[in-house]
This record gives sequence, C-alpha cells and structure tokens, in this order.
Amino acid sequence: MSKKKKILGIVCERSVDLKKRVKNNKLVEKDNVSILEVTCSGMIQPIMIEEAFKQGAEGVFVMGCQIGDCHYREGNKWCQERLLGTRPPNIKKTVPKEKVRGYWLAKCDYGTLIDKLNHFEKDLDALPAPEVKS
Amino acid sequence: MYKETLEKLQEATITFEKGLNKVFTQQYNPFYYHGAVPNFFMWTLFITGLLLFVYYQPTLDSAYISVNFITTKLPFGNIIRGLHRYAADAMMIAVLVHAIRVYFTDRYRKYRWIAWYSGVVLLIGMLIIGITGYILVWDERSYMIVLAMTDALKQIPFLGLPLAKIFVNGDVISHYTLAMSFFFHIGISFSLLFLLWLHYLRISRPVTDVPLGLGLLLLSSIMIPASVYPVASVNPAVLTKLPTQFPLDWFYLWIFPMFSGMPALIVWTIVFIATTLLFALPFLVTDKEKAPAVVSLTNCVGCTLCAKDCPYEAIYMVPRTDHPKYKQLAVVIDARCSECGLCVGACAFKAIDLPQNHSKEVITKISDLLKEPA
Repeated sequence: MSKKKKILGIVCERSVDLKKRVKNNKLVEKDNVSILEVTCSGMIQPIMIEEAFKQGAEGVFVMGCQIGDCHYREGNKWCQERLLGTRPPNIKKTVPKEKVRGYWLAKCDYGTLIDKLNHFEKDLDALPAPEVKS
Repeated sequence: MYKETLEKLQEATITFEKGLNKVFTQQYNPFYYHGAVPNFFMWTLFITGLLLFVYYQPTLDSAYISVNFITTKLPFGNIIRGLHRYAADAMMIAVLVHAIRVYFTDRYRKYRWIAWYSGVVLLIGMLIIGITGYILVWDERSYMIVLAMTDALKQIPFLGLPLAKIFVNGDVISHYTLAMSFFFHIGISFSLLFLLWLHYLRISRPVTDVPLGLGLLLLSSIMIPASVYPVASVNPAVLTKLPTQFPLDWFYLWIFPMFSGMPALIVWTIVFIATTLLFALPFLVTDKEKAPAVVSLTNCVGCTLCAKDCPYEAIYMVPRTDHPKYKQLAVVIDARCSECGLCVGACAFKAIDLPQNHSKEVITKISDLLKEPA
C-alpha cells in the first residue's frame, strides 16, 4: 500500500462544521488532508487550485454549502460552474481535472464528507503513476 | 446568549432543510425557493382575483349576491373563489416561513436591511388586503369586521376618528364602505408590486420563480382544498341584526379576537410595539467593523466579471481615462458589500480583494500548508 496521498481542501467556513475536527490545519481523522477555510466557496480562485498542485498537492477538493443554499446566495453556484469550466475565470488546462473534486455539503454533513474523501483517496490511488522524466 | 441561540437555530434550520432533500430532492426543495413560493401564491391571487373582479359588484345590496353568483352559477366559479381564499392563506404561511428562515439563518440584516424593512411593510400590506378581502363578501362576518374595526380605530388618539371615517368612507356604513374596501383590497395589492421592487433591490438575480414541478405541487396544495372544501359565505349581512357567531381565518383575522378580549388601545399598542421590534431586529446584534472589498487601481482591467458575479449589486463599472488600454474600472459600493469574496473568486487579475482575507495571503497559506511534512 502506497503512502497516503496529500490532499488539500479549500473549504467554505459555513459548510461542514469542522471547528472541532481540525487540528493544526489538518483533519483529526485524516492527517493527510489539510484544510484551508475561506469566507465562501465563491471566493476560491482557479489560481488557488493551480497553486496547490504547484506546491505538491496530490489532490484538491473544494467544499461549499449545499447547492440551493449559499449564505451569500450564489457563491457555491459560481464555484461549481468554475470547476465545470462554464464560468470564467477558467481553470488552466495544466491542472489535472481528475484530481479535483467539488463537494456541496451542509453543516451537518461531516459523515458524508469523510465517505467522499475515502472515495477520493481510492480514486487517486487508482490513477496511473505519473511518468518520471529523467 | 442571543447570538448563540441564533447560531443554534441556524444550524437546526439548515439540518432540517437538508433532511427534506431526501423527500423533495435538492432541485425541488421548497425551502431553497422560500422567496419564490410566496411569489407563486401572489400571482395565483392576482390571476384568480382578476377573474373574480369581472363579476363582483361592490354594493351593499349586490355584493353578497354577486359572490354567490360567482360561486354557484359560473363554471368553475367556486374553484376560482376557493383558490383565491386558500392561496391567500398559503401565501401567509409561505411568507411567515420565509421571514422566519431569513431570521434564523442570519440573512436579514446589514447589507440586507432594505429587504427586511420592505418585507415588514409587505406583511402589513398583506394583512390589510386580507382583512378588506373578507369585507367584500358582505356576509355576517364582514359586517362584524367592519363594526369591530371601526370601533377599534376610533380608540386611537388623534388619528382614530379620521381613520375610522376613511375606513367606513363616511359616518355610517353605506355602499361607499364596500367601495372603499374594494379600493384598499385592490389598490394595496398593486402597491405590493412596488414594495417587491424594493424587496429585490440590491439583490442580483433574485429567485422569483419556482421550478415547474414545485409549482404544480404548490398549485395542487391549494387546488385540492378548493375542490374538496369549497369556500362558502356565511349568512348575508343584515344591518339591523348583529351577528353573533362566525368562523375566523386565523392568518388574517387574528386581531379581532384580540379586540373582543381587551381594550382596543392595548391591542394597537401591542401591534405598534411588535412592528417597532421587527424594525429594530436588524440592529440588535453587533458585528465587527466592516471591511468591504477593495479594488486595485493598477490591476483592474475592466473585465466586468466581478460586477456580474456580485450577488448584491455592490460593484459597478465606471469609465476610466487614466489608463491607455483599459476603459473601465470596477467600483465597490461599501454599504452594499457583504464581504463574501465572490468578486475575489471572479477576478483573474488579483485586482479585487478583501482586506481581512487577501487572496495573496490565501495563496501563501496554501503553500505553507503543503510544505509541512504530511
């Protein structure tokens, strides 16, 4: 079994309640998952996701509130559309899309988040290893 | 204490709605259209009201007869009348749910105060429309409403007598009383549209329509009671006979049991205090100082993406002449800014940022987080 993949979550502070579940910016339950909270998922710039991969993240997930319910009305919708590539600014093509996930969960959905992360890790493990250029 | 309770309520509301997704699915969850649902009922009321308007006659002699004619003689007349009545009740329920939800989820103050204030006025307007609507039928209940309301209005110091005179449209109940109620009923209904414009002001792309599936569900929620429990008038009003008993609509006529239970002046004081409290509500919680988004003059290229994405119409574009290439500049209206950062997400040029949560800081944080040994 390979080492656990390094995952970064850029997370809306109003979606899943992580206050007691994050220590040193890492999920207590999964220490390979770093968490960065922002005001709203709509604030996440594509550059931020690009930067995460540049800095060595092996998977990035973006989390916002339940679609249909954003505290700031449209943040999660815009973020989702950006991930899907239908709303500018677009994510650069160099970003490996298969390593990016968007989760839209409400405050009470911690269990679902962990399920989804487990699934994400499995998917990442199943990806072919990158070719090493010598 | 107050703040903590509100936070608990917010969490409970969101959890409850999330649970409803299992029944309705996210796409049709009425709570995600809590503003559009009252709107749906309002348009139902406008359309059914228009149909009733064609045959209704606002005079003491013929009001009751014309309403009965609509109900019994006209094809589908009883359904239209039933829809008008049940949609009114449904709209009141939907509006209360809407108001309670925005209150519980903390979406009623600061940059949204104008929506809250216009909402309170809309609610008062709805109550007046409801009460005058029950007068139009001119049965015993209507007569009692006019009598009780006139008495109650007279108790208000200074303003009371003129108000009562306007309400009755003269010194005694006459044809003009009904004409006045008719005028209030329809006139205020149309003024709702103006208030709704205020209600939507500073909200980009307000959600005013429900999806078709939900619309059909809502329609059936008033269509079924309208056909199973048809609405009927009670006995016709006779001016020489005081009515004794009649059924009440608790959504609109709740004030009348209060009038019979205590002096009218106390009831008016309670109503006044409650309204004042509603108006004061947005200012009961204090917040940190405001730090609206800031545009960088050197980085802004005038692409308008932030202005398009702003959910509160807080950003607008102005022409600029100081730059050889870029013709427009984004400007933030501080009072409207919610500090949500959606504009930051929309900007590809690092030109707009929240001072307390700068995108540069976020990017440094990302690299810091990933540098730590996993």
